[in-house]
Amino acid sequence: MKNLFSASLLALTAAGAASAQDLPQASSQWFTDGQAQLETMLEKQENTNRALNVILFVADGNGVASNYMARMWAGQQEGGLGDDYVQPHEAFPELALVKTYNINAQTPDSAPTAGAMNTGVKQRFNVINVGEDAINGDCTTEAANELTTFAELMTEAGKSVGAVTSARLTHATPAAVYAKTVDRNWEASVPDECAEISRDIATQLVDAMEAGTLDVALGGGARNFATGEGNTTVGGNGRREDGADLVAEARDHGVEIAFDMASLEAASDEDAPLLGLFSDSHMSYEADRPEDEPSLADMVAKAITKMSNNENGFYLEVESGRVDHANHATNAKRAMIDGKMFADAIALADEMTDDADTLIIVTADHEHAIAMNGYCGRGTPIDGLCFDIAKEGIEHSGDLVLASDGKPYTVVGYLNGASSVMVEQEDGTYTAPEGRPEITQDEAQDLDYTQQVLIPKSSESHSGVDVALYAKGPWAHLFDGTVEQNYIFHVMNHAVNAE
Amino acid sequence: MLVSRRTFVTAALAAPFLAPPGFAADGPLKLRDLYVKGGDFSDLARSLEGERITLEGYMAPPLKAEASFFVLTKMPMATCPFCEPGIEWPDNILPVYTRRTVDVIPFNVPMLTRGRLEMGEFTDPDTGFWSIIRLAEATYERQ
Repeated sequence: MKNLFSASLLALTAAGAASAQDLPQASSQWFTDGQAQLETMLEKQENTNRALNVILFVADGNGVASNYMARMWAGQQEGGLGDDYVQPHEAFPELALVKTYNINAQTPDSAPTAGAMNTGVKQRFNVINVGEDAINGDCTTEAANELTTFAELMTEAGKSVGAVTSARLTHATPAAVYAKTVDRNWEASVPDECAEISRDIATQLVDAMEAGTLDVALGGGARNFATGEGNTTVGGNGRREDGADLVAEARDHGVEIAFDMASLEAASDEDAPLLGLFSDSHMSYEADRPEDEPSLADMVAKAITKMSNNENGFYLEVESGRVDHANHATNAKRAMIDGKMFADAIALADEMTDDADTLIIVTADHEHAIAMNGYCGRGTPIDGLCFDIAKEGIEHSGDLVLASDGKPYTVVGYLNGASSVMVEQEDGTYTAPEGRPEITQDEAQDLDYTQQVLIPKSSESHSGVDVALYAKGPWAHLFDGTVEQNYIFHVMNHAVNAE
Repeated sequence: MLVSRRTFVTAALAAPFLAPPGFAADGPLKLRDLYVKGGDFSDLARSLEGERITLEGYMAPPLKAEASFFVLTKMPMATCPFCEPGIEWPDNILPVYTRRTVDVIPFNVPMLTRGRLEMGEFTDPDTGFWSIIRLAEATYERQ
């Protein structure tokens, strides 16, 4: 015991008085990597420039666990073990945890969370950019509670404004850039009794483009802008019931229209308004995307190219919308593939802009009821079954980890969803009389596989767990510790106004 | 074990399940095999039009009781996805017209169904369900 104590003391002395390089572990790559990280941190400088541009990346439903899944997937796709892979935003110098709850919801939804980021105040469940006295679905409470958005402030400052998403442009997260509504579902119409006092979200988008408070809008949702059969930008059927052709209205006001990859590429690179509607509803999951449909990175590249021509700068919100949808379906594989595309879009935006004048924020609006099982060895495929930890070497043993029921299980799990292991019986009760289904690795890694979950629900739910926020550029250092989601607006606003 | 008529029929069909035309060794097809990215029908689907094929998936909760029809989904869906005429045709469901009245399989239990692949627009006079691709004269079983 005495010898052990002496050895520890020697080590402490060495660490304190001498160089860390004298420690017995100093030659380990883990140690030298840690030292390199330390040097990077010691050299970190605060950037107090005024931000010319702000880019807010939001992967819908991409909380810490979902982001981990995307990291592992990307790393393993490159042939690595996954754990040590660094996604582009994970190399950003600043980090905070974000509390995502809504005014009246412990478990948030995507409308008020996006609204909080775009206005600086938390909002009520299912509303967008209206104050705390606005009631979901009650249009009489809308007008008096409308808030001023970051996009409107940026327009006043002479900047261009863009919204890019792989979901419908009228969906909650992109809508928070330009719309104010007491109901996120009013994408193509409002209730009859609200017709005189409220506008649907698609109408608000085109009104914003006509007013000049929105310059670039790229995503899906063409059906909400058209009326009648075959009349959307991609030849589908419109959902509008008012006879309006909002795309024609936009075009009449000088807005260029894109509808596929070729027309996006052909669109002007000048700082002029562009509306891209590439699918009738949400755009494709990245795993299913046809070549003639632009990727999230393609859309981000076009938006930045155009808006960089504004010498006053721009504000761009980018949403990877379908991480959320795949999680809702407990289809982890599509979520991680979309997570990789989100990362590619971030890397591209980082390349196209200058850290000196562009604040880039990467976050999520909320987490899901998702978690990782253990104990898996290194190199266990994140999209498959859990393999055991090997006593020697680094990679897993090749033996499946079995649960107490003698069956293997996947790394990724969800707490609730449609793929419950419990089955509805003829009397309406749910149980699993034959136990949990057996799964093979081939089944688990299939693109359409849905993870085993416990609680049966029609759609897997969000959760109230914090999400991470990564940032770089002017005033990014103001993101630190655990912050409220509405604080994001305040940092953006400070960064663009700093003297 | 007593062999019911249903068990017998299922067992008799099991052999052809393993050898659908053009897919002797590959087992049942997945819904995604019928489409290319972007939603058009695949060459495989076109080549199998009129043939009896076997698909795997899940049975969505039925639109109505005592029907000879159900919707096959590629992933468990707790609510029946209703397709309005002309609105974006989803590539993750397939209407299935059965030989017999449907004996419901819970929505999250994997299943196989085998029937004749039909393509082209069709509106079901009983349900109003519109489809551009479906299985006809189908049988089915838990996987």
